[in-house]
Amino acid sequence: MSDLDDFKATYFDECSELLLELEEQFAAIEEGDHSSNRLNAVFRAIHSIKGGGGAFGFSGLVGFAHAYETLLDHVRDGRVELSEPVVALCIRANDIVADFVAAAKDGAELEAGYGAEEKLQFDTLTSGDPDMVGEPMEEFDIDFVPVMVTIAGAEDDAMAEAPLSLAILDDAFEAPPLAPEAGHWTIRFTPHSELYARANDPLLLLRELGTLGDIKVRAVLDEIPALADFEPFGVYCSWEIALRSDTATEATIAEVFEFVEGNCDLTITRGEAPVAEAALDAEIEAMPSFAQLMADEAQPEPLAVAEDASSAQLISFEALAESMKPALKAAPPVLPPPLKQAAPAEEFDGENDRRSGVEDRRNGVQSIRVDLDKIDRVVNMVGELVITQSMLTQQMDETLRARYQELVRGLEVLAQTTRGLQDSVMSIRAQPVKTVFSRMPRLVRELASKTGKKIRLETIGENTEIDKTIIEQLSDPLTHMIRNSADHGIESPEKRLAAGKSESGAIRLSAEQAGGNILIAVEDDGGGINRERVLQVARDRGVVGPEQALSDEQIDQLIFAPGFSTASEISDISGRGVGMDVVLSNIKKIGGSVHVKSWTGRGTRMTLRLPLTLAVLDVMLVKVAGSPYVIPLSSIVETIQCARANFSRMPTGAQVLQVRGEYVQVVDLASRFEMTTEVERDNRFVVLCEAEGGVKVAVIVDDIIGQQQVVIKSLEENFQSIEGIAGGTILGDGNVALIVDVQGLKSTTTAHKSAA
Amino acid sequence: MRVLTVDDSRTILAMLHHTLSNAGFEVLQAEDGQKGLDVLKNESVDVVITDINMPVMDGIEFIRNVRASGMHNSLPILILTTETSQDKRDQGRAAGGTGWIVKPFDPEKLISVIHRVVH
Repeated sequence: MSDLDDFKATYFDECSELLLELEEQFAAIEEGDHSSNRLNAVFRAIHSIKGGGGAFGFSGLVGFAHAYETLLDHVRDGRVELSEPVVALCIRANDIVADFVAAAKDGAELEAGYGAEEKLQFDTLTSGDPDMVGEPMEEFDIDFVPVMVTIAGAEDDAMAEAPLSLAILDDAFEAPPLAPEAGHWTIRFTPHSELYARANDPLLLLRELGTLGDIKVRAVLDEIPALADFEPFGVYCSWEIALRSDTATEATIAEVFEFVEGNCDLTITRGEAPVAEAALDAEIEAMPSFAQLMADEAQPEPLAVAEDASSAQLISFEALAESMKPALKAAPPVLPPPLKQAAPAEEFDGENDRRSGVEDRRNGVQSIRVDLDKIDRVVNMVGELVITQSMLTQQMDETLRARYQELVRGLEVLAQTTRGLQDSVMSIRAQPVKTVFSRMPRLVRELASKTGKKIRLETIGENTEIDKTIIEQLSDPLTHMIRNSADHGIESPEKRLAAGKSESGAIRLSAEQAGGNILIAVEDDGGGINRERVLQVARDRGVVGPEQALSDEQIDQLIFAPGFSTASEISDISGRGVGMDVVLSNIKKIGGSVHVKSWTGRGTRMTLRLPLTLAVLDVMLVKVAGSPYVIPLSSIVETIQCARANFSRMPTGAQVLQVRGEYVQVVDLASRFEMTTEVERDNRFVVLCEAEGGVKVAVIVDDIIGQQQVVIKSLEENFQSIEGIAGGTILGDGNVALIVDVQGLKSTTTAHKSAA
Repeated sequence: MRVLTVDDSRTILAMLHHTLSNAGFEVLQAEDGQKGLDVLKNESVDVVITDINMPVMDGIEFIRNVRASGMHNSLPILILTTETSQDKRDQGRAAGGTGWIVKPFDPEKLISVIHRVVH
């Protein structure tokens, strides 16, 4: 059983600590420090070793530790003097205990009689004290020592030997004892106030007694004084119990009361006592009830009340059981054959199950609240760790690799662990997109009622988790996108019916993880983007040149252009002229991209591609004019040597790259950032990147150094925003590299071109 | 139901935790009597299981303090004991202990003893 192995592992750990402590304590004791603190610590250490050892059945260890512990107990009490020979014996004993522990740990056997000599010395030293000697190992064989009980009518010698001072009440019952009958017991139980002071509860004792057989309980209330004499903490109540059980013995009955031994008067008598209703009738008349006591104070003769109340004084176990939670199965009024013990047990199990359900739930959501700042600090440090790790890996060149294989292996493990650490830290920051998605149904309802359209919202994948910061940035863009869909996408019910669609439109909000990205899509089954209109508006506003031919995809992408709005009349909802461009800039800010795809008459899908985390980016490290730059790996399609690349010039003079029949715009990073490079054209490289919407850009760099992970540092926060640069990062060697923003590069280049 | 377990032995605490949480109890832990008192200041529990031999504050002193606080008169306290001399057990009871559990305990016995002192 692995649990047991776990406990054993804990135990042996603890043992090594305790053995170490023993060594330290005895070093001081040898110096002459015999303070009680030290002696107590030593005693406790051995006691703990013994206690745990007993749990695992290491009998050799336990036997020796027990004798040693007894000696230590005598030493700390001053019964045995801690002379030099005794200290020497103890130090030897410590070694023996250590050997026993080691043997137990390895599952080995020590030679028979190992430590016997020392054990004998312990016994000799402690033998002055008879009640400790030979004090039994029985405690390791049995869980409970049965308590002896005096039984009225039992043999005299048994009574003489009985170690307990249970009161024997010969006059417990007025009626003469009946002839003892098998299976019938009478118990008279009178608690003392100490019983209550120790948090024992008579009701629980009666419940326990009820598990032995069928019981009938009568509360004896004769002792209850008049209210004026009533002491709040006084004990006035006792009980008479008739037990019928074929299995109960004096011992098992007494065991029920073992915790309250000495705190109560208890008699256990074989045979049935007159706890029957008939026999008690007379008593009942005389019995004072609390109601009566109260009444006595006020009025002399409240007879009716008294009778009603006192007739309730005869309590059967059924009544008791009723009042107990969990309820025990009621005992039938006529004594039947012994009660099946299973019934109450089942009840308790039921209770346990319910409880454990509650606990499980409680345990299941265990959490702590942590300042986001603290987590961010950890995230940052993990980021730095990632950099350092990749730096180390970078610096291992082939010769070093060949020479220090151990180091290489260590670095590989470090890389793996760092990656795991990073994932774990990121998952702390992760939250389900549900937190944002859940706000959307209300928005859709509002939009539907404002526009008079019928719209239903479907959400998919709302448990997908993303970085908390990204989630916080997601609310506005999503709101905009859904407004856009509701306003421009979904048609009016009449239009929809005319187009052969269902009256109510649908907007589907979905989230999924795809590789290192999260894709969030807003889809509608509306009319799709009206490309003619979009292109017209774009030309009117000069966003697109009059001759410029655009593909359908490029036209769709235009809705994200700054200041672009196609709404013919500015609507209350989304047509304020600020709309989708805000979405784009917000999403770009958090390292994401937006892609739109539309099907005329069938609907539109806008997809946000978001990084799983903001902190770390997989990049390609390149060199331009002697400076390092990094390009996000996610946007790179391929790299080509310039010597093999197929460049050509457009009639406008702009250079393009021909890749598999496609003409791609070329951006030379050196000239783009106004630097001069010494590297010959043919020795340079083309990094083919894909920007949003599948538009490609060929970026020309001097050299490609490799791939690595970097931690993004904001340029805006530390300097200012630069077109074409998404941020900065610190490389493993301490150099700062700028992160190329492919999308920005393309758009600024377009602007340059149109300006030219 | 919540149980506070007080013991300086990690092994015993671990075993108690395992047994009790398997039986559906919520388990709180303290390594000595003083820490046990600290827990009781802030948490409400249904039953306490305490060792006797502990550093800082032993089990007897712990029980005495719990009862003396007047806040926990009806809180059942079970004494965990390997002592057979009845010495410590009686001291523990005199201090206000409700019952005892003899080490090494077997899981079923442990649970049944708890049910003997808790509603």
